[in-house]
Amino acid sequence: MKSRGYEILEHPADLGISAHGESLQEAFEEAARGLMAVILDPATIRPHRAMPVSVAASDPQQLLVRWLSEILYLYDGQRFPCAEFSIHELGPTWLVATVRGEDLDTARHHTRLDVKAVTYHQLDIQEGAGHARVRVFLDI
Amino acid sequence: MFKHIDRYRHLIPKSYKAGMLIDGLVFADEHLLPQIEADQTKDQVANVATLPGLVGRSLAMPDAHQGYGFCIGGVAAADLDEGVVSAGGVGFDINCGVRLLSVPADAREVAGMIEPLIHQLFRDIPCGTGKKGAVSLGGRELDSVLHDGAAWAIRNGYGTDEDLARIEEHGRLESADPAAVSNRAKDRGHVQLGTLGSGNHFLEIQRVDEVYDEEVASAFGLQHDQVTILIHSGSRGLGHQVCTDYLDVMHDGMKRYKISVVDRQLACVPIGSQEGERYLKAMAAAANFAFANRQMMTHWAR
Repeated sequence: MKSRGYEILEHPADLGISAHGESLQEAFEEAARGLMAVILDPATIRPHRAMPVSVAASDPQQLLVRWLSEILYLYDGQRFPCAEFSIHELGPTWLVATVRGEDLDTARHHTRLDVKAVTYHQLDIQEGAGHARVRVFLDI
Repeated sequence: MFKHIDRYRHLIPKSYKAGMLIDGLVFADEHLLPQIEADQTKDQVANVATLPGLVGRSLAMPDAHQGYGFCIGGVAAADLDEGVVSAGGVGFDINCGVRLLSVPADAREVAGMIEPLIHQLFRDIPCGTGKKGAVSLGGRELDSVLHDGAAWAIRNGYGTDEDLARIEEHGRLESADPAAVSNRAKDRGHVQLGTLGSGNHFLEIQRVDEVYDEEVASAFGLQHDQVTILIHSGSRGLGHQVCTDYLDVMHDGMKRYKISVVDRQLACVPIGSQEGERYLKAMAAAANFAFANRQMMTHWAR
C-alpha cells in the first residue's frame, strides 16, 4: 500500500472515502482529494490560484466533516474546484490549510456527481505511530 | 428480532436495544422485509426510538432503506412540549419531492417523439451539475424566494396562480425566515435555483399503465395510457447546507439541553429551544426554495 492515498467505498446506498497517510494531516488531505475526485475528474482542475482555509470545530470528527464541507462549499458555493490541498497546522479542533484550484469552467469541468453533504455516518478517525486513516460517507 | 403483528406490520420492541424509549414499527410485506433486514434500517429505526419526547412508535414506511441517522422512509412524531427536532431527521434534502404534470396526450400519440422530447427537455431544464441555472439572483431576490416559495416563481412569470392550488401548502411554508439561513447556504442556492440536480433526482416522461382508483385518478386528471412528466427535485445545495449547518448547531446545543444520541446524525434539540425554532424557520425557507425550484422546472417543461 502506498504511504498515502484514498479509496472510494461504494455500497448500494452509500458512497464513502477511506483515506490514509503517515500522519492525520496527510489522511485529511487525501480525504479532500477523494472528495473532489467524486465530484469531478481531478485531472481537469488546474491548481492556478491559492485559497487559504481555516476550520475550527468542537472535536476531531466535526473538524473532518467541516474541512470536507469547506471543500464542497468552495466548489458548490464559490464555483472553485480544488486540486491541491496542504494542511499546515492540524490540532484536535482546528486546522489551517492552503488549497489550490481554479474558477469553474463548465467547458472543461464535467461534474461526475452532485455531493449533497458530508455526513457523520460511520465516520472513523484512526491514528497510530506513523499511520493514520479516516473514513467518511457522503450523501449523494 | 421483529415481532410480527400481522403480514404487513413488524414490531421492534423496546427490548431490542438499550435506550429505546418507544417501540419501532416497520410496514413491509414478505418481499420488502428481507431487503429492509439486509442493511442498517432496523437499527436506525431503533436508534430514532431513543430520542427524547417522541410519541407513538418510531416508524419505517415500506420504502425504508438505510439512510443517515434516520432511515429513508423513517417517520417519528415528537411531542411539541417534550420532544425534539433533528436536522438529520428531516435530512439533507429538505423538501425533496415530486411534481407530476399530466400531458394532454396518450402514449400512442407521442410514440415516435419521445427522444426529441427528452432532448428538448434536457435543453430547457438545467441539470445544474456544475452549470449555472437559468436565473441568477441578487441577495434580496433570493430572500424573496425563501420567503414566498412557489408564489415568487408565479410572480416572476413561471406559471399561473392556478398552479398554487395544486401544490401542498400552496407552495409556501409561512414560518420561513430567510435570516435563519446562512450565507453559505445562500451561496450554494444562488446559482442552483431552477436546476434539477443529480443523484436520485430526475425528470421523466412517463405513461399511466394501470389505474387503481378511477375516482382519485380522475380528480388528478389522469387516465389509462396518458403521458405524464414527473419532476423529482428538492432544495438543492441551499437545503443541503442548511442541514449541514444545523447538524453542528444542534450537536453543540445538545450539551446545554443534556441530550445524548447514539448516532451523531441524530443530533437534536428541544423543539421550543432557540436553536430548534431557528432551524425550523431555516428549514421552512429551504422548503420554499424547493417549491420555487419545482415550479420553475414545471414552467419550462410546459
